[in-house]
Amino acid sequence: MSGARASRQDLPLLLVGTDHRSSPLELRERVAYAGEAAEGLLVHLLARPEVGEAALVSTCNRTEAYVEPREDEAAYRAVVELAFATRAPELADQGRLYVKRGRDAAHHLMAVAGGLESMVLGEPEILGQVKQAAALADAVGTSGTLLRRLFRSALKAGSRARAETGISTGAVSLGYATVELAKAVFTRLEEARVLVVGAGETGRMVTRNLLEKGAVRLTVTNRTAARAQEFLAEFPSALSHPYEERVRAVAAADLVVVATGAEEPVLTAGHLEAAMVKRSGRPLLVVDLGVPRNVDPAAARLGNVFLHHIDSLETLIQRNLKRRREEVPRVEEILEEELDLLLAWYRGMEAEPVIARLQKQAERVRRQEVSAVLGQFPAETHEQLDRLTRSLVRTILHHPSKRLRNGNGEEMLPHLALVTELFQLDEEEG
Amino acid sequence: MTPLELFLSAAVVLLPLAYLLAAAAYGRVFFTGDRRAERLAPGVLLASLALHLAYLAALTVKLRHFPAATIAEGLSVVALAVGLTYALVEWRGRERSTGFWIVSVIFFVQLLASVLRRPEAAHESEVLRSAVFAAHAFLALMAYAAFVMAAAYGFLFLELYRELKSGLFSLFYDKLPPLEVLERMMAGALHVGWIALTGAVGIGAAWAYRLYGARWASDPIILLTFATWALYGLALLLRRAQRWQGRQTAVVCLAGLCAILVSLVVVNFVVGDFHGFPGAEGS
Repeated sequence: MSGARASRQDLPLLLVGTDHRSSPLELRERVAYAGEAAEGLLVHLLARPEVGEAALVSTCNRTEAYVEPREDEAAYRAVVELAFATRAPELADQGRLYVKRGRDAAHHLMAVAGGLESMVLGEPEILGQVKQAAALADAVGTSGTLLRRLFRSALKAGSRARAETGISTGAVSLGYATVELAKAVFTRLEEARVLVVGAGETGRMVTRNLLEKGAVRLTVTNRTAARAQEFLAEFPSALSHPYEERVRAVAAADLVVVATGAEEPVLTAGHLEAAMVKRSGRPLLVVDLGVPRNVDPAAARLGNVFLHHIDSLETLIQRNLKRRREEVPRVEEILEEELDLLLAWYRGMEAEPVIARLQKQAERVRRQEVSAVLGQFPAETHEQLDRLTRSLVRTILHHPSKRLRNGNGEEMLPHLALVTELFQLDEEEG
Repeated sequence: MTPLELFLSAAVVLLPLAYLLAAAAYGRVFFTGDRRAERLAPGVLLASLALHLAYLAALTVKLRHFPAATIAEGLSVVALAVGLTYALVEWRGRERSTGFWIVSVIFFVQLLASVLRRPEAAHESEVLRSAVFAAHAFLALMAYAAFVMAAAYGFLFLELYRELKSGLFSLFYDKLPPLEVLERMMAGALHVGWIALTGAVGIGAAWAYRLYGARWASDPIILLTFATWALYGLALLLRRAQRWQGRQTAVVCLAGLCAILVSLVVVNFVVGDFHGFPGAEGS
């Protein structure tokens, strides 16, 4: 077991998890929880007396259990046993689990939501997955005041990170890099005519990304008809074009994605030159994803032909990743801000019992004093007197209560102690 | 010195400075993505345009005609026309990425206008107060404003084209609208400019022939205008015939504007006014 112990005034929060950095896929897939399995785990965790609240973030890259421990050590053992040891005992034995507590655990969840812990820095899907985790714990009834607020803070931090920094900007995969290039050339992806030469997995992957981002006018051409039919089964809106007449199809396209296993170029500079004659000067973007290259590199010299092969896409991806890395300090600032707000909220929660006791005591004293003098006033003024004294007490306590609620973290703790001592609130409670 | 003259003297210095400030703010938006500068830049530009409008209004009062009789006056009107057009485009499209380049051109044109300015004197010429002059000057200045816009978009087109060709993706790739949009804006501005210039040349030629006979054809500005009209017309013709693509058109837009500006400066020092018809006063 590792990780720093939570300080007395820290959040009562325990995180036990594993991710792509600490475990290989063979272990991670064994502890991936979905649907009923995730619900079952949460119910079992909450059934343990040492666990107050529980939530689970489970994706292909991580499984993390967040609990509010009533007894720290026992809660840790319960999580390890129920979530990890039953499915993959090696995780605990080989020290592949990380454990974080209090502020560190909250910061970790915010970093996950912000994409800082993802395999691809800043990837956007994780925010939705954290949202699902919060919704699941809510639906099963295993999250309470603390975890609900924690996930809300994490989701806010994640959303802010994406809106206020460039942590998720720029394409970082071949498919999205193709989309990004197309958007730099064409006014609207919806209007661009896309030709996919080669119906294999790479071509399909890029096609998925293009369709997701709005491309609709799609044609495929493949050396074998059977593979083209498979492509059409996956993308029914696409049209098929005979492979032998591919140059004609190039002339009619705006974006050509070439991904075949051919050893020789399937599009030569001569092919593209012939196609450009028929294109009346419109730009042509050609993305060659083949290795060895499927498009003759000499075609890059043709006017209005933008030829990019796998290395230039990789340059684009690395540049975007570098920019994302440069955004990490700005994201960290946002996480710290949200963490401070979360801790201030939690410490405000600590002030609530003190404020409640103070108000209760003041009300008791008010009643005592009013009862003692009530007989000296005419009956018709009793209600007025009661209202006046209530208002007086409320006004006197308003500012001290507000200050205690909104006080800044640990520096407020001595004040809470002083108020308790001055007004003898411990005795009051007793 | 009257308050009006004082304002004109101050504005002629302040205007390039105001546009320089606006260009700096837009530059910060383009190069750093600074959000504060993004909020500030349109305000600085609008303030500069307001000052510019006030300057030209004051000049009109002082000269008692639309201030388009000298090259300096014409350039200043062109700068304002480009600024107003850009402000409208930005307001409609919420697109500020091209602001730095357009406002830089406006700064340069207004700087040239301020440098070439000579002390204003009211013209008594009836020619300058006629409706034909107003139509001719309006179309000519509109044409030059459009050519300035076409050159600015042409420059941006060429930069983005170069980055997309080379695969060395940098600022232009990140910040600019798609290549097709830049080409459309450049070609659109070129069309508008050429049509307006055709109108200006037609009206001006007919009018000058009636006033001055055949002498008008030897005027250097007329010769320059015909050359410009022919160059841009050829570019449009070749585009229409699908012989030329965006790149060639962009080069012509840039070369054309450079030629116009250099010629105007030279003509300004040789002739002084826009037109120098022999024997024609106050032209």
